[in-house]
Amino acid sequence: MNNDEERTQSGVVELPSPTAWPMVLALGLALICTGMVTNVVIGLLGLLLFVWGGIGWFLQVLPHEQHVEVPVLNEEIEIASSRRLKARLPASDMHRKILPIETYHISAGIKGGIAGGIAMIVPAALFGLIRYHSIWYAANLLAAGGFVSWIGASDAFLSQFHMQGLFAAIAIHGLTSLLVGLLYGAVLPMYPRYPIVTAGLVAPLLFTGILHSALGVISPILNQRIDWFWFVISQVAFGLVCGFVVNLHTRVRTAQFRALPFAVRAGIHSDFAARNDPAEKADKKDQAQ
Amino acid sequence: MATQTPVPAVLDQTTSTACRPMWLEVLHDWVTTVDHKKIGLMYIGYALLFLVVAGFEALLIRIQLAIPNNTFVSPQVFNRLFTMHGSTMIFFVAMPVLFGFGNYLIPLMIGARDMAFPRLNAFSFWVSAFGGLLLYFSYFGGSGLYGAGSAPDVGWWAYAPLTAKAFSPGHSTDYWTLAILLSGVGTIGTALNIVTTVICMRCPGMKLSRMPLLVWIYLVMSLMAFVTISPLTAAQIMLMLDRYLGSHLFDTQAGGSAVLWMHFFWIFGHPEVYILILPAFAFANEIIPVFSRKAIFGYPAMVAATVGIGFVSLSVWAHHMFTVGMGAGANTFFVFSSMTIAVPTGIKIFNWLATIWGGKIRFTTSMMFAIGFLFQFLIAGLTGIMLAVAPFDWQLGNSYFVVAHFHYVIVGGILFMLFSAFYYWYPKMTGRMLSEKLGKWHFWLFLIGFHLTFDIMHIPGILGMPRRIYTYEADRGWMIWNLLVSSGAMIQTVGVLLFVYNLVRSYFKGAVAGADPWDGWTLEWSTTSPPPSYNFAVIPSVGSRRPLWDLKHPEDPDNNYE
Repeated sequence: MNNDEERTQSGVVELPSPTAWPMVLALGLALICTGMVTNVVIGLLGLLLFVWGGIGWFLQVLPHEQHVEVPVLNEEIEIASSRRLKARLPASDMHRKILPIETYHISAGIKGGIAGGIAMIVPAALFGLIRYHSIWYAANLLAAGGFVSWIGASDAFLSQFHMQGLFAAIAIHGLTSLLVGLLYGAVLPMYPRYPIVTAGLVAPLLFTGILHSALGVISPILNQRIDWFWFVISQVAFGLVCGFVVNLHTRVRTAQFRALPFAVRAGIHSDFAARNDPAEKADKKDQAQ
Repeated sequence: MATQTPVPAVLDQTTSTACRPMWLEVLHDWVTTVDHKKIGLMYIGYALLFLVVAGFEALLIRIQLAIPNNTFVSPQVFNRLFTMHGSTMIFFVAMPVLFGFGNYLIPLMIGARDMAFPRLNAFSFWVSAFGGLLLYFSYFGGSGLYGAGSAPDVGWWAYAPLTAKAFSPGHSTDYWTLAILLSGVGTIGTALNIVTTVICMRCPGMKLSRMPLLVWIYLVMSLMAFVTISPLTAAQIMLMLDRYLGSHLFDTQAGGSAVLWMHFFWIFGHPEVYILILPAFAFANEIIPVFSRKAIFGYPAMVAATVGIGFVSLSVWAHHMFTVGMGAGANTFFVFSSMTIAVPTGIKIFNWLATIWGGKIRFTTSMMFAIGFLFQFLIAGLTGIMLAVAPFDWQLGNSYFVVAHFHYVIVGGILFMLFSAFYYWYPKMTGRMLSEKLGKWHFWLFLIGFHLTFDIMHIPGILGMPRRIYTYEADRGWMIWNLLVSSGAMIQTVGVLLFVYNLVRSYFKGAVAGADPWDGWTLEWSTTSPPPSYNFAVIPSVGSRRPLWDLKHPEDPDNNYE
């Protein structure tokens, strides 16, 4: 039994004794400040109170902290809910989302992003080569979003090699590729049925649509000069390669897996397969109707 | 079926025949108290007092701006009004009222008898209170021997070189500096107390993973206060050195840097916004689940988002300085860091919505203010993201658009949630319920007034009206907007007066609250209302994040799921 319980049972609780010394110390400090903008006498008074308050406070806690014993009167309080519990209605699983019980490790997304980013360079460079006879055009165009002074740059300027442009393009392209790769790693397990269509077509088209509406704000120069046909091709290249690399990796189990019954986790009963079986879902739907 | 579980607790059995204490005894009791609850109430009371003062200053500002070419107050008085309004609201209203709630609630929620350092707690309160008094004493003493100026008039940022001796003779700026310095000492003291209390004084069973989210958030907020108040205090001392000992730290003509002051100020100033909004989040985390009758959605994500906001908010300060000309690199960094903070904040918004979703919502006044907070804080966040884009900020920086944005955060976010907290915890603090009928009137009046004022305030900003402008010509096209904004301020004032009336009336005539009027789940509802000085006769022991749920529903306790 600790001291607290002993004291409670004896009917008292020890609390720190009330004291004015902290207030005196604070007043002293405030008066020292006030003295700096009014009169030195007030500052001296503040100093006096400050020292006095400090000593008083010191004696409050040393050699022994001063306490008061407050009497405790025990009485029972009812801790009760004012609400009634109702029996839960059986919930249909028709509208419940089934979260993936397996997903990819974070490194799969990173590797996919790197591979997709490299693959994307090929159509981008091809575009520059065919249209402007320069493999640097696409990189410089991407970099121009980060350089205010490049806003009015000519096509000839953008077709030349610029070291800073290359670094900026690598930074922008690298970061974006990694982030999109991570997104692929997170999203693909949620759409397990048609990974190639999802990764190689749906996601690139969605991303292109979002970028089409936002590019005017993000990078006006890129918006003016972008060729959307080639952009879609490079996005599809990214999506196919990134999706392929991500899909190569072995999946890891998520927290959802731990929530499954032991029989399912142990592989004795395959509940997961049943939940994902379209035929069984259709049967359940028929029964519900 | 309702369940009942008796637990040992304590009732104040002071008989009604006991002698009423003399007023001097009452005064002595409050001046010498080291009880966290009384100190919390003193913080709240003193903040409400300053709220009335700073609110009155805001009204005078709005009267001056309601019509063009107005001379309701002089330009000099106008400068003092916006300086005192801003400084008071941040340092002597928002900070103390939030610390007041923290002081009152944290020990109760973690099952402790008091804060870790009760005397330091009292000292922190008193030094902050004297700081506020010193600031307002400037109206009497600010002229000093020079006869120049009275209250400070340099804005709450106090940018250099406005604060230099040449442009601010007399002592008005010194009063501001010293008052803020004293307030900073109090803030550090209270932050130290909160951190120590939370780390060392939790009751048995209350692991960090079972701590109420309010306590988690106050812990993060207090840690942030350590990091951010220090540069502000350092800057105040440096400013005093410039003004009195001949240093030139912020004197650009002698090799100093005015931008240095900006960095010092905003490395405090922007995290300060999060120091203020985090407790509002804390209140939402406690109130929304109780009135949705559901446990908070995504507790670990909420904790992670809080810590994330704490970290990221320390790296966004220079988005207040886009117009200074920092260069593309710095601008880009602060654009991205400012936008990044929307991620953890968004997580919180989604989690609150998910908590409400499918719940059995009780539309009490407290919940209505909380729902208002959710919508308004979202809009405030969106205009914040707009202003985080450097080119957008170049167009609208220092305009009334910015004023509207941060008032949306502070009034639409923090103040709404504070009102919600008042309606929720007033019964615990006083033992009486606030009138719901008056509360609903308060809510609707304040909501209408708020939107009339701060929605419309964005428009003159977009039309080019600069902040801190004394008056304007009639041909600018700003009059109708300003008139509407000022009308909204009047409606808000009526709402606040109704709230104050409700506070006073309910204290004497409100319905008796009982220990647990909201069917709550955290420990403060397991003791009497108001709690005895020792909080709990027996230190409680908890087994989940909702200990009272466990007691009320022993057949289905939370620790089965956590």
